[in-house]
Amino acid sequence: MNALTRFFARLEGPQTIGRGPGFWIGFLVVLTGACLYPQFSDGYTVGNTVYFFTWVFMALGLSLIWGYGGALSFGQTAFFGIAGYSYGILTINFGAAYGFTLVAVVLAVAIAALFAVLLGYFLFFGRISGVFLGIVTLSVTLVLERFMAQTAGPEWRIGSARLNGFNGMSNMPPLTIPWPGGDIVLFPDVQLYYVVLGLLVLVYLLLRILVNSSFGNVLVAIRENPERAEMLGYDIRKYQLGAFVIGAALAGLSGVLYTTWGQYITPSSMGMTAAALPIVWVAVGGRSDITSTLIGTLVVLSAFQALTIHGSQYALVVMGILLVLTVLIAPRGLILSGASRIGRLFGKRGDA
Amino acid sequence: MSGKIMRGLRAAALSGTLVLGSGVAFAADPIKLGVLEDQSGDFAAATIGKVHAIQLAAEEINKAGGIDGRPLELVIYDTQSDNTRYQEFMRRVLQRDKVDAVFAGFSSASREAYRPIVNQFDGLAFYNNQYEGGVCDANMIVTGAVPEQQFSTLIPWMMEKYGKKVYTLAADYNFGQISAEWVRNIVKENGGEMVGEDFIPLGVSQFSQNIQNIQKAKPDFVVTLLVGTAQASYYEQAAAASVNLPMASSVNVGQGYEHKRFKPPSLKDMYVTTNYIEEIDTPASKAFFAKFKAKFPDEPYVNQEAENSYLAVYLYKQMVERAKSTKRDDLRKEIAKGDVCMDAPEGKVCLDPKSQHMSHTIYLAKVGADHSITFPKVWEDIKPYWLGEAGCDLTKSDPSAQYTPSNPPPKP
Amino acid sequence: MDVGTLAFSALYQFGDAFAFLVLSACGLAVIFGMMGVINLAHGEFIMCGAYVTVSVAHTGLPLPLAIACGAIVSAMVGALVELIVIRHLYERPLDTIVATWGLSLIATQGTLILLGSTMAGVGTPFGSFQMGGYSYSLYRLVLFFMALAVLAGLYALFNWTRFGVMARATIQVPHMAAALGVDTRLVYSLTFALGAGLAGLTGGLYAPTMTLVPTMGTTFIMEAFVTVVVGGADVFLGTAPAAAVLAVVKSVMTSWQGQLFGQIGLLVTVIIVIRVLPKGISGFLLRERA
Repeated sequence: MNALTRFFARLEGPQTIGRGPGFWIGFLVVLTGACLYPQFSDGYTVGNTVYFFTWVFMALGLSLIWGYGGALSFGQTAFFGIAGYSYGILTINFGAAYGFTLVAVVLAVAIAALFAVLLGYFLFFGRISGVFLGIVTLSVTLVLERFMAQTAGPEWRIGSARLNGFNGMSNMPPLTIPWPGGDIVLFPDVQLYYVVLGLLVLVYLLLRILVNSSFGNVLVAIRENPERAEMLGYDIRKYQLGAFVIGAALAGLSGVLYTTWGQYITPSSMGMTAAALPIVWVAVGGRSDITSTLIGTLVVLSAFQALTIHGSQYALVVMGILLVLTVLIAPRGLILSGASRIGRLFGKRGDA
Repeated sequence: MSGKIMRGLRAAALSGTLVLGSGVAFAADPIKLGVLEDQSGDFAAATIGKVHAIQLAAEEINKAGGIDGRPLELVIYDTQSDNTRYQEFMRRVLQRDKVDAVFAGFSSASREAYRPIVNQFDGLAFYNNQYEGGVCDANMIVTGAVPEQQFSTLIPWMMEKYGKKVYTLAADYNFGQISAEWVRNIVKENGGEMVGEDFIPLGVSQFSQNIQNIQKAKPDFVVTLLVGTAQASYYEQAAAASVNLPMASSVNVGQGYEHKRFKPPSLKDMYVTTNYIEEIDTPASKAFFAKFKAKFPDEPYVNQEAENSYLAVYLYKQMVERAKSTKRDDLRKEIAKGDVCMDAPEGKVCLDPKSQHMSHTIYLAKVGADHSITFPKVWEDIKPYWLGEAGCDLTKSDPSAQYTPSNPPPKP
Repeated sequence: MDVGTLAFSALYQFGDAFAFLVLSACGLAVIFGMMGVINLAHGEFIMCGAYVTVSVAHTGLPLPLAIACGAIVSAMVGALVELIVIRHLYERPLDTIVATWGLSLIATQGTLILLGSTMAGVGTPFGSFQMGGYSYSLYRLVLFFMALAVLAGLYALFNWTRFGVMARATIQVPHMAAALGVDTRLVYSLTFALGAGLAGLTGGLYAPTMTLVPTMGTTFIMEAFVTVVVGGADVFLGTAPAAAVLAVVKSVMTSWQGQLFGQIGLLVTVIIVIRVLPKGISGFLLRERA
């Protein structure tokens, strides 16, 4: 009982913004709103919100690796792609019956995490850090992209699943929950919304606990000063590897959800532009806090989409200007800077 | 009630919908067409003209009284040459804007990205683009040319004129690989020999090694299936190295108007089979070109995809007016009759009921030393025969899959 | 086919790959290698140089002069960008990723809106020459010698001029350089402008051989980063040997298995080199020397 209380006490702590009843009441209000909102909205908006949610996991993972651990991974999309393709290969081969799609999700994320263990061991135990870490991870995702792009021929198949090259893999089943009296197929509509929302809340709360635990504190210590953390007796390589694998698994989760959302995965999801996007979301929101990352990612995604819809050809220019201004004016990220300003307004110490 | 109307109005205003040709008063509800094309990013050069062609056709149709008295309304989104934008906006036009049909896509990857969504919502999409062929899907109508139309004409002609030794230089992805397969098969059928094949990843712009490989193989002509603006640099580099071999292609000139963009004579002796380019000297083509330039005087080039998009709007109008409905199944009943044909700027075109692909007039365009275009040969009524012969019959079943010669439909 | 022809063709392919790597990377080597700024807009400076070069050449000026104009305009744009944006980010090198990615979006799409989707080229000068059954473009040799000239010029600049010494001092220990009376702000500005100017020069040099589109810079980006990372921080000691090693990898892999393996070979080489030599080739060489 005591251990459990301690466990949940970690929901608040020095590594996350927001504490006290005020914050949690706000959290519940937002959550209630998020639960009720499909009742007042149309299928398109709900499906589109699910689409935004699917990307958030990857951003949260990057926030853990980069924002908390100080190691910039430019190649989160590699795990995204690996998990997406794994889901496709598994479900096309074994079908969607008996809830296999849910097993496939777990397996696909596990495959991405396993790949991250190998790559992370190579990186962190090789003492690669800083910008070089970013370049190696970027190279990995680009190698995967180039390789997958040329797998168009019929010889590139795993079981009955064709990789199908640059055109991308499709025809994988959407998530299906076995149910007496007919399986529930989670098309990107209200049903999928609640599943993904539930996952998001779960991941968010678990990450809060994780970063406020001793693991998170050591991670931040490594970010602030790796030598000092090492002098204190921590094997920083293990901590960084741990964060890297968790972050990769979250990117993998994004990949699987994206693949089921559109029943499609393509090598471009691992390309240069795709690889830069998570960095942009995380940096704009405020990378050193998961709440800021979560809100920031949703804001950037919906702002960019709205710009594309309404800004016609000027959309990309406006996006570029916004990015430059954000970096110049709110260096810690829009949400984090904003939150600490509000925190000061209420006379509390708002920052982490 | 009034709140609902307000929301509708706001949605219409926000989504950038546009009722064209407002000079005519319409009583009936508009027919909505979604248009998803790349107006920015990598592919913009070849696709902005498609949007303009659709706008031109819609304006003409609305001025002449609309489709069955109903005005045509376009819902246009810029997909930024980005597959994920196609997924987002395909859902948007089908679910939110509730369009009656969608005109979408340039790259094959973008088509494959949106196709599952069209299937999911059981919508109707027109893919107005030449591509590697093989899509057997009842939700799709393809107005662009496919390999059998372009290569079964081009390759035998080239072999007869220049010789039997062929070298293929192709983009290393689905379009290039499948097209190269077509070239290989047709060369073999005609008793020729492939002396080499080289595949280039997308985005590569340096070709010194490939130029040397070609010179080593000593082919009679080179089939260039290069895609994208970076790969187009090959022609300049090959010319600078004096390769001096005739070239055959299904993508160049007709799509990216390289003969206008490069300094002569880098494209000298390039032969292209295309179903339309602005140089075509028939009265119908000249009239279309004049109308296009009158509305969009700054258009750099009117390419085959622009014509495909233009005729697709009229084709849709014809099907809706014949079926007296915009429902997909009613339209497909008209297609199944096998006489959905029209006189397009290129000549007569017809929809094939089995594959829902289109027959075309195929023009052989030759690029001269000064980059002027001549047409040594024209083939009329070339059918998209392969899918139907291979076993795709959409009037009977809908596999919603893409096939290739080495991966044909399962035999019934 | 005799040995001489084979040797020359192998050498020519190597030289061609070497020139592309060196010229892609030289501007980035100055900006990323020396200043630590991750400039994702590097390709757009190249595009800027190419566009200016071709526009000037269309007015009738000779090509070398046009290329010089391209380099100078790029350098001026670089100085302006440094003044407005980059200057504020030296303390936060990772934030430069976001800022320069934003700049690159603005530049590519802005060019598309202002100048249209493509621009007519100028054609490659000098023609071709024959060698044992193959014909080669002479301009490619010019590019190779320009790459060597750029390397030599950079070596001279950083070792023999007052600016070079001040720049190296500023970049190694900024506050010490400042204490010794160096205007470090000016040095940073000039260094960034130099990098942008070199990128513009590359754009100008390759403009006659390529399609001119707003996104043309992206084809240089991967090669540029790969070369700089393999090379490490020192512009001359790093970029030249890195480009040489990578050019061998690329030309051998490309002639053996095609372009795809040439590209994958480059990326795998980077991963291996960083694992073995975390500070790049120049870090290794300098440590050996010290």
